[in-house]
Amino acid sequence: MANMAEAPERRPSLIPARADGWTALSTLSTVVVVIALFLFFGLTSERFFLPQNLLNILKQMSIVGILGIGMTVVILVGGIDLSVGSVVLLSSAVTALLLDSYDVAPVPAIGAGLVIGALVGLVNGVLVEVAGISPVIATLGTLIAVRGLGQILIENTYIWVTDPLFVDIASDTIAFLPIMAVIMLVLYVVFAIVLKQTVFGRYVYAIGGNPIAARLSGVPLLRVKILAYVLSGLLAAVAGMLTAATVGVVGPNAGAGMEFNAIAAVVLGGARLSGGVGRVEKTLLGTAIFTMVLNYLTLSGVTAIWQQTVTGFLVLGAVLLERFVQRGK
Amino acid sequence: MRPSEPVFMNPDLTAMRIHDDYAPPILEMRGIVKRFPGLVALDGVDLSVRRGEIHALIGQNGAGKSTLMKILSGVYTPDEGDIRVEGLPVSIHYPREALRLGIGTVYQDLSLVPQLSVADNIYLGREPGNGFVIDQTAIRRSTQALFRRLEVRDIDGDERVGRLPLAQQQLVEIAKVLSHEPRILILDEPTAPLADEETAHLFRILRGLREQGIAIIFISHRFKEILQQCDRATILRNGRLVTTIDMQGVSEDELVELTIGERLETFFHHAEQMRANADVVLEVSHLSVRRAVRDVSFTVGRGEIVGITGLLGAGQNELARALFGIQDGVRGTIKRRGLVVRIRSPRQAVRLGIGLLTEHRKLEGLVPDMSVKENISLPSLAAFRRLTMFIHNGRERWAVRESMQQLNVKAASSKVKVSTLSGGNQQKVILGKWLLRDLDVLIFISPTQGIDVGAKAEIYAHLSELANQGKSIIVVSEDLLEILGISDRIFVMYNRRLTRIFQRGEVDEETLLSAVQGATL
Repeated sequence: MANMAEAPERRPSLIPARADGWTALSTLSTVVVVIALFLFFGLTSERFFLPQNLLNILKQMSIVGILGIGMTVVILVGGIDLSVGSVVLLSSAVTALLLDSYDVAPVPAIGAGLVIGALVGLVNGVLVEVAGISPVIATLGTLIAVRGLGQILIENTYIWVTDPLFVDIASDTIAFLPIMAVIMLVLYVVFAIVLKQTVFGRYVYAIGGNPIAARLSGVPLLRVKILAYVLSGLLAAVAGMLTAATVGVVGPNAGAGMEFNAIAAVVLGGARLSGGVGRVEKTLLGTAIFTMVLNYLTLSGVTAIWQQTVTGFLVLGAVLLERFVQRGK
Repeated sequence: MRPSEPVFMNPDLTAMRIHDDYAPPILEMRGIVKRFPGLVALDGVDLSVRRGEIHALIGQNGAGKSTLMKILSGVYTPDEGDIRVEGLPVSIHYPREALRLGIGTVYQDLSLVPQLSVADNIYLGREPGNGFVIDQTAIRRSTQALFRRLEVRDIDGDERVGRLPLAQQQLVEIAKVLSHEPRILILDEPTAPLADEETAHLFRILRGLREQGIAIIFISHRFKEILQQCDRATILRNGRLVTTIDMQGVSEDELVELTIGERLETFFHHAEQMRANADVVLEVSHLSVRRAVRDVSFTVGRGEIVGITGLLGAGQNELARALFGIQDGVRGTIKRRGLVVRIRSPRQAVRLGIGLLTEHRKLEGLVPDMSVKENISLPSLAAFRRLTMFIHNGRERWAVRESMQQLNVKAASSKVKVSTLSGGNQQKVILGKWLLRDLDVLIFISPTQGIDVGAKAEIYAHLSELANQGKSIIVVSEDLLEILGISDRIFVMYNRRLTRIFQRGEVDEETLLSAVQGATL
């Protein structure tokens, strides 16, 4: 009976308790927001519901959405990856060069691009987890360096991507769905399963939720966190291929700023930036909100500069709303 | 804002001194009740402290000393009871209010910024100057004056705090609190990390402050220094007041008896006979940890419960952490079943069959956002794999359910977040983690701290049962009753060394307590 009183005061918990059921409620409310925006945009814009526009939205979603998957995984382990926009450039530059200047077949060329993306992810992971550099600084460094590398490769000009495989990826549909959207959805299904059903996924949540407890439980922190960055790099390279396919050309600014779109999608999906809480399904919803708003603004004739401003405030608003809802609990 | 020269007291108060029994109390706490979810930390405690006395607050871990002091310093607000300072009723809601009332606290974990200089630390948050530029000369001058009054000569006000030894840092902390000119000074186990001569110096300073009319509340586990240095003592046990006594004519034995109180043997369902420890499962030789453990050697047998105890900072925690690969600066050899092993990470420790539970449940044991099930299975996921990477949900659920039943974890379901459970059930979840992993050496650091009585008894029963199943258990605790009740052998650490080893039944509370305080034979 000694010992019973002191522990609650010994050390306040560093991890804020989260109200139970919050995640479920929030998923539902995010779905409601997506549907509400969809209806509102459709009813207030003549062109929003046109099939061609809806297909466009799906295509636009797929690139941000795929980057968002990798970003979700990295954010879940308590990191962040700012380099993905530059990986889009470097990976597509490698693939385009191999196709254009070396006459490599499309499949190995794409393979090389994906490997490059994964390698950049590996470098990020090693910088953060082995060298101990903070994720923001490390991936900011690779953001700059990798973009530079990509621009060196394409000699700061434009390389056309005319391979029929890429043309098909950009334009074909499977049962009304653009191939790009199908690729994205397949990746979402795969990663939803990976995060929910695999040992790796469980470790990801454990590490993000409480790295100390995870380590003391024998979870291989280093391996899991590095793998998270590798996956992010790999997925950024996939987004790079799709970017090259849609634009039809790889230029010095390919993918520039996309890291922020991906982070915006994750944040709109309600993931906790310090890790441990978040789901890819919700990032998909976040991507939908983000893309629909951008599309609606374009249809309404809002200029690009204003679109950027509006989406920036949208993200801030979403974060503030989440804070507000949480405090209310 | 310019700090006035530090004056520790109102000069005209010096006249009305000191050990006088009729002096009015400067502080009176009456009927203080403080409840936390699931436990009553303080149950109607009274404390009365006079001007110019050193008043010891005594009790085992969990007796409620720190809670009482935190109420006084504004960290907690009491649920019931009233507080009077110099006869006037006060309510203290924030630490700042306590300071304004003249109540200064020197906490156990020092609250200094290591990168700042001594002087800057003392005046942190109320730097003199014009509100923009800090008046460095004023800071330096006031610091010097402060140290002069404390008769501290060997600390340079410009030195960075991080470069000072711990004892000097503590003096800086005391100087910082004194610069607020408190009438009541609370010291929470100030001597725990200090060597003998440093302790003597501290008491010289405290006696000086007492002469100046300051009331000092002194928390310590060291009965010798309490007997020698304190005027009166208030003893708490399990959140209740035992008594307040004058130190004159009190013996150490009496003090010990008052502190420990009735025996709690009903808690302990240990096996009748000494468990056989023929097979050595773990052998530690000449293990040292930088600045914490010196040359410790021992063995642990199969199915044995070893209790390791000592004063705060005697090295027992670092020793336990070294065995689990989470302590830096470890030297020496560890053998598992006769083979020399290197344990550099928890992952390696777990692979070698060693698990650790600490008192910091939320911080080190659990992932609060994950469910009970996910927490329990975390170390064992590899065993529930199918197709190399997928989790076999059915087997996981089945194993977790089994383990929750075995440990009697009270939760609505295995899917609720572990953070919604009570402290005792959380501790059972952590225990469940390691049982599922089927480890054979389990190390517990303060396993029942902050846990209510019922859950505590259950955990003791589980420990006993585990030992009977052949698991080896090391319990590190400062709770002597707990150690006496559950251990087959008791290791006592004092000043970084393993000083005594007792067999079960060979030692009583009094002997153990004096061993813990450094008595040799």
